[in-house]
Formats: sequence, structure tokens, C-alpha cells
Amino acid sequence: MKTSVKKLATAVSTSIALMGAGHAAAAIQIGIAGPMTGPVAQYGDMQFSGARMAIEQINANGGVMGEELVAVEYDDVCDPKQAVTVANNLVNDGVRYVIGHLCSSSSQPASDIYEDEGILMVTPASTSPEITERGYELVFRTIGLDSMQGPVAANYLASLNPERVAIVHDKQQYGEGIATAVRDTLKNKGVEIAMFEGITAGDKDFSSLVTKLKQADVDYVYYGGYHPELGLILRQARQANLDATFMGPEGVGNKDINTIAGEAAEGLLVTLPPSFDKKAENQELVAAFQDKGEDPSGPFVLTSYTAVQLVAHGIKQADSTDPFEVAEALRSGSFQTPIGTVEYDEAGDMKSFEFVVYEWHSDGSKTPVN
Amino acid sequence: MQDLLYFSQQLINGLTIGSTYALIAIGYTMVYGIIGMINFAHGEIYMIGAYTALIAITGLASLGVAWLPLILIVALVCAMIVSSAMGWAVERVAYRPVRGRHRLIPLISAIGMSIFLQNYVHLAQGSRNIGFPALIEGGFQFGSDGAFQMSLSYMQITIFVTTLICMTALSLFIARSRTGRACRAVSQDLGMANLLGIDTNRIISATFVIGAALAAVAGLLLGMYYGSVDPLFGFIAGLKAFTAAVLGGIGSIPGAMLGGLILGVSESMTSGYLSGEYKDVVSFGLLILILLFKPTGLLGKPEVEKI
Repeated sequence: MKTSVKKLATAVSTSIALMGAGHAAAAIQIGIAGPMTGPVAQYGDMQFSGARMAIEQINANGGVMGEELVAVEYDDVCDPKQAVTVANNLVNDGVRYVIGHLCSSSSQPASDIYEDEGILMVTPASTSPEITERGYELVFRTIGLDSMQGPVAANYLASLNPERVAIVHDKQQYGEGIATAVRDTLKNKGVEIAMFEGITAGDKDFSSLVTKLKQADVDYVYYGGYHPELGLILRQARQANLDATFMGPEGVGNKDINTIAGEAAEGLLVTLPPSFDKKAENQELVAAFQDKGEDPSGPFVLTSYTAVQLVAHGIKQADSTDPFEVAEALRSGSFQTPIGTVEYDEAGDMKSFEFVVYEWHSDGSKTPVN
Repeated sequence: MQDLLYFSQQLINGLTIGSTYALIAIGYTMVYGIIGMINFAHGEIYMIGAYTALIAITGLASLGVAWLPLILIVALVCAMIVSSAMGWAVERVAYRPVRGRHRLIPLISAIGMSIFLQNYVHLAQGSRNIGFPALIEGGFQFGSDGAFQMSLSYMQITIFVTTLICMTALSLFIARSRTGRACRAVSQDLGMANLLGIDTNRIISATFVIGAALAAVAGLLLGMYYGSVDPLFGFIAGLKAFTAAVLGGIGSIPGAMLGGLILGVSESMTSGYLSGEYKDVVSFGLLILILLFKPTGLLGKPEVEKI
């Protein structure tokens, strides 16, 4: 027993020594924190792949201010508790820039630590408005906010000249927030809102709601929430012959909705970040990903790539590796990136982030409509 | 006419969901009637029934079986066998060793079992929704074109009919069979029944098995009706069914049926005429009212104090 403990101790200290050796050679360390394992690891793969590519390309072009970037990767499993541990490890390792975290619920607690310890954080995926609402100096993102999607959806709906629109939400922060934004925008445009109603997340039976929608004779239904409930609503609406078009936010736009709703998912409208990999100016980059055998089409690959690029731009512009000066440079500059021109407001949000309306198909594919 | 159709549609919605609440509620009420404990893992047994049915259907489809009645019967039998085995095992592992202790102990054991089963399915089947093929499609339409049409789907009819058959069979079983009579005897006085030569352990196991089998029927029906299952499938359904059992009078089988239907109809009427947000407020408010004026539930018998 004793020897095995000793062995373990030796092993741990050796690995710490090795890690230390790795870091000593690093000129500028870029931490990448996201889920490598766990239920949303597939999103984490996108994040790591995008960030690694950016670091590789920047180094190939001579690095930043003559120094190399070195990736230091951390697994937070998209678990808030683990995210805090990761954040503390980052502090101990002396990393001063983080690409991450992925999940809003991880970014939120980790950002407290980064702000206190003077670490600059750029999240490529967290969309919760609260993350940048606390007046932090060192928190940025390369993705839009939940609150930006509502108006995009409402403007699109209004352009279809609907007679009556129903708005349904799941009474949760994300869903009700977007639904309220849609309602307010539609009202300003003079569209008749026939219904604004909440359902209970986790419920299975929506037959009463569907009957009510049928009675109200609506032609469009906006749903604020996630795919499990909307999938069931779509399916039950189809069974009851409800003739209306449904629309939802990015929370409903994944392939699981096809599993639940089946054929009924055909024609669903979804607001999503645009497919950056389809842009003409990004084709060279897309080819670079494909050469490595990686798929750049995931929603967070290029946002993650951009996050690294922004850190590099910021360091160059500030002519300093001090995170506070870099943050200042990011706020004052305007940057050309694969996700478009990036300019930051005081909070650390992008001044404009485009959402696109897609039509969803029953095989899980999507086509842009606006 | 329009309003009448709308009302009937909401009534049908309510009766459909209510009859499945009733099927699940039987499991709660029978167990309570016999050993006076609440089996909180019952909702998970229902979820496991739905998963087993899905696995059976997928298996048959991969073997190339396309004859619908055969698929349904095999799925039903598989689900009932697996759920019953689960119900039996849960009783043996989690409840029998603590039977007769303070009433809190089996309750906590039941909650633990529920968490265990939920997470077991999480690990074994993944946390994502799994699609259930729509096997029974189509239905009747009432009302003129262009205006509100009432629809009654074949699936809803299947749910009513199956529930009716199960309930009748169960009532006959309890009233007429030898085991049924023993069940009634055990529920009246466990100690006395034991003295009279009834194998009470066997009867208690039988109760869990019957409740689990009915939950499996509900699992298959609702899996098909909703079209997908996930590991949390049983949580809300179990909660509602438990409410239905209390509403009708826990321990009473006709009470569970009545409670399920009342709960289902009151839910659909509230969301139909008021708002879906008040659905749970009204149904749980109703529960509180009934318990205030009739603490044993609608059809529950008051306990006689023995002196």
C-alpha cells in the first residue's frame, strides 16, 4: 500500500514537472477551456478544433510580436463546478488568455475568477446575456446574445404578413425572454398576437394547447424554448391537423427535434447563427480544416477560431501582453475576421451579430430563407 | 356548434391523458392499499416499460416483421415482462428488507430507487430523446371544412379501449380470483392474513408485479402517442399519477380510475379555457380542496380506529 502511494506521488510529481517544462518554453499561453468529455463533448470538439487551427496558423505566420502561441487545454465537462476548478488551474498555470468556456453555465462562474485574477476571456459559444451584464472588463464573446434573436425572428415573421400569430414559451429564462422580445417587436409592427402562453418544461401532453391554437385559427406559432417540448408540440399539432407554421430559436435547431417530431419538423423556421463556412472569403480556411480531416461547419468552429485571432490582434494592437491593455485594444478596434467585422461595446458584446432564419427539414438539414 | 366541438375536443384530450394517469395510478394505490407505503420508483417502472417496448419494436422491425398486431402484442408482452420483473426486484431489494420499520425508511428507500433507475437508464440508453415509430396513425374528423374540426385519432381510441380492458380485467381479478381475494385480505389486515395462512410476501410481490405490468401498458401506449422517450419520461407522469391516486382515495382501485380521469379532464379544460400556465395550479388546487373536505380522497374509506 505504502509503495503504491509513493509510486503515485512520484508519478504525479513527474507529470507536474513535465507540465512545468512544457509551460516554460511557452511564450504566450492560450488556455482553451471547454467540454472534452460529457454530454456536449461534440460541441467542445468544434471549439478545440477551431482554436487549435488558429494557433497553428498564427504560429506559421511568425506568431504574435515574434513570440509563439502555445495551446493549453482544459476539460470542464460543461459542469459549473468543474469550470471553477479549471479556472483555478488556469490561474495556477499562469495562463492569461482563455478561449472559453462553451456552456453559459460554465462561463458564468469561471468569469468571476478570471476577472479577479486579470485573465482575459473570450467565449466562442455562451449566449446568455447575463455573462456580460456584470460590468466585467475582461469578458468578451464571439457569438450573439439570446436577446438578439427575438427581434430577428419577429422581423421575419412580420415580413410574411401573418394574420394571427400565437406565441408560446416554456416559462424559463431563455425561452420566455426570447418569446417576450418577439411579442414586443411584433406588436410594434402592428401584427395581431392571438395568444401569449406558457407551458411547463418537461410536460408531454400538449393536446389542449394544440386544440386551442386550432380554435384561435393562427397561421404562425412562435415557440421560445428547447427542442424536447417543441418536438412534441409539432408532432401533436400534425396529428390534430393544425395548419400553422412554427418558428423557434437556436435552442430548437438541432437534429434531436427530428427524432421527436419526425415528419412534422418539415418546414419549421429556426433562427441560427449563419453558416460561416459557406462564406466565399472563408473558403481557404475551410480547405485548411478539410486538409486536417476536420469539419468546419459546426456553429462554434469559426467563432472559436476568431476568438484566438482576436486575442492575437488585441496583443498586437496594444503592443503589450497585459490582459487589461489587450481588452482596451479590443474595445477600441475594429477587426476583420472569418465571422465578419467585429467591434465591441463596453460590455464585451459584439456590436452586431447576424442571425439567419433557416427552414428546417425532416431529414435534419436546413436551408436559409432570408 | 363550434363551441360544442371545441368542448368535446378538450374533453377527449382530457380523457385520453386521464386514462393513462389512471393506469399508472393503479400501481401507487395498490401498493399503498396493501403495505401502506408510497412506491416512488413507480414512475421509473413506467419509463422502463416504454423503453422496453421501443427496444422490442425496433428489434422486430430489424427482423423484418411488418404485421402491426404482432408487433404490438410482442412489444406489450416484452414491456410487461421486463417491467414486472423490475417491479418485483425493486420490492425485493429496496422495500422488503425495510418493511415494518418507521414509515420514513421505505419512503427514502423508494426515492433512492427512483434516482437509481433514472440514472441507470441515462447510462444505458443515453440522455437524449429516442424516437418512437408512429405505428397507429390517422383518425376521424368531425365538423365542416374551413371551421374548427374535432379530431379523434385511432391512437386515442386505442388508449381508451386498452385502458378499459385493463381496468375491467383488474377489477374482475381482484373481485373473483383467489389471489385477488388474498390481496383484499392482506390490505385489510396484514398480520391477520398471515395468521390465516396467506403467504403475504407472495401477495405483496404480486401487487408490485401487477402494478408494474399496468405501468408497462401505459408506457407502450404513451410512448406511441407522444412519439419519443427519454430517461425523465416517468417523472412528471409519476407525479401526476400519484396525485390522481390521492385524489381518488389512495388505496382504492376505482378511486384511482376516477382520480385519473378527473385530473386529466380538469387539466385539459383549464388549459383550454383559461391558460396552460394555470393547468397545474387548478389540478393541485382541486387536490387540496378535496383533501380538505374529504381527507381520504373521493372514494377512499375512512380508517376505522380499532380500540
